[in-house]
Amino acid sequence: MNVLGPSLAPYIRSSRTLKKYVTPVAHWYADLMGYRKMGLKYDDLQVEENPQVQRALGRLSPRETYERSYRFKIASNCDLHHKPLPKEQWSKPEDDKRYLQSHILNVIKEEEERFTWDTMTVQRK
Amino acid sequence: MLARRASTFARSFATVIDNAGVKVAAIDNGQPTTAVTFLVKAGSRYEPKPGVAHTLKNFAFKSTAKRSALGTVRESELYGGVLSASLSREYLALTSEFLRGDESFFVDLMSSFLTSSKFQRHEFQEYVLPVVEAESTAASQNPATHALELAHSLAFRSGLGSSLFASPHSHVSLDDVKEFAARAFSKGNIAVLGTGIDSAALTQLVEKALAGASVGNVAVESKPSTYFGGETRLESHGGPETVFIGFGAAGPADPALAILSAHLSPQPSVKWSQGLSPISAAIPQGTSVQPVLISYSDATLFGLLVQGSSPEGVKEAAKVATNALKESTGLNGDALKTAVAKAKFAAASSLDGRDGILGALSTKVFANSDASIEATLASIDKIDAAAFSRSVAAITQSKPTFVAIGSVQALPFTDELGL
Repeated sequence: MNVLGPSLAPYIRSSRTLKKYVTPVAHWYADLMGYRKMGLKYDDLQVEENPQVQRALGRLSPRETYERSYRFKIASNCDLHHKPLPKEQWSKPEDDKRYLQSHILNVIKEEEERFTWDTMTVQRK
Repeated sequence: MLARRASTFARSFATVIDNAGVKVAAIDNGQPTTAVTFLVKAGSRYEPKPGVAHTLKNFAFKSTAKRSALGTVRESELYGGVLSASLSREYLALTSEFLRGDESFFVDLMSSFLTSSKFQRHEFQEYVLPVVEAESTAASQNPATHALELAHSLAFRSGLGSSLFASPHSHVSLDDVKEFAARAFSKGNIAVLGTGIDSAALTQLVEKALAGASVGNVAVESKPSTYFGGETRLESHGGPETVFIGFGAAGPADPALAILSAHLSPQPSVKWSQGLSPISAAIPQGTSVQPVLISYSDATLFGLLVQGSSPEGVKEAAKVATNALKESTGLNGDALKTAVAKAKFAAASSLDGRDGILGALSTKVFANSDASIEATLASIDKIDAAAFSRSVAAITQSKPTFVAIGSVQALPFTDELGL
């Protein structure tokens, strides 16, 4: 289990029929979750209180970091008002891309590689 | 037997195989280790913005499509290899030294940097920029290095005048480095040199490894060098007082300057003796004078680097050095023969070590010349007193390049030295 949590997505994507039927349900559920009504993206919900995600956050571009902080500020303000944003300001589904996922996966891969190198046994042929 | 050894050495020295634009040259003297150098025309001369070449050099051996930065280092450690990257004004050299038999891994490792380096932003921020800053700071705090950088910028202005080190004032971005790499890493700009490996074997490996490289019609362009000259002074403390008195010329290397450098060099041939140099007899205690002769493909910088603990001592030593330089136009007879012999020995003995061999090969491989060591020695021998006097007079009549670093109120000016 890694910091991204358990996911059936790779299994569903691998099967054409499952993908065809599950994808609309997934989109409906993402809308229902309500984070878009606060102007957030899915990766803003990622638990960041662990070393892997902190390293991944360090790899975002300065622009991405700024926009993430801005979204958090807007969402905190929303929380104070106990109201969602007006409809024009909801984040659009086409903009809701996973900007952090690839960085997290790279960090996990690098940590695994380091562990492999640290613990491998070398034999002379 | 000695004659045969000399001729086989000369033949292998001269081999330059042109392999679809990539030049390959190798010498095998039976050493137990092999060293392969990828020489790329990505020196500071060709950089579009100040500091880009220095940054690109520090990106060597970081993540590529084939292996990560950690994997590169760990795997080459397991093989027992030594990786290094160095930057000169004309070339970026990626070198790896390893035991015989491991050449396929190391050639593949270095070529993957040239063909598929990832240039990742986090590696740039975390690994490359701190090293660039540290090297630049160390260079600016070493008066001799700093004096030579300033001398080059006075002497050649753009091109060869660009500093080898990034400055804290010039901001180098990752996109600048990527663009420069894309332009410079094309087949026409790459040469592969090897010691301890057979040239046919190296050619085969290089062919396979660089199959994916871009073919070079986007070669880096550079204007031909012109020599200007000038004077500058820099206030500094904490290091020896330094003065650099230099002259230069555009054009191919002149063997007479090698003879001049050998004549003036205070380095004695017998340890603990004063030597025969006119300089070492007259400079005060605590000062040192060193001749500097740097030949590029189309220009040369010759000079004397004077260092000492007190500015008055350095002033006196600089006067002695300048006078010795001016008087050496009249060098003839036995003194000239001594200098010629010293220059020939320096040229020949530089080929004893791997660094010297690679240095000699790199100057010849891009110029496509087939000159062997015999030709170099013969060209030094051919200089007689008249030709020597003409060459020295010609170069000392060019505008001097003068750099003073230290307590500038007390260090000399050019007219005080008679330049």
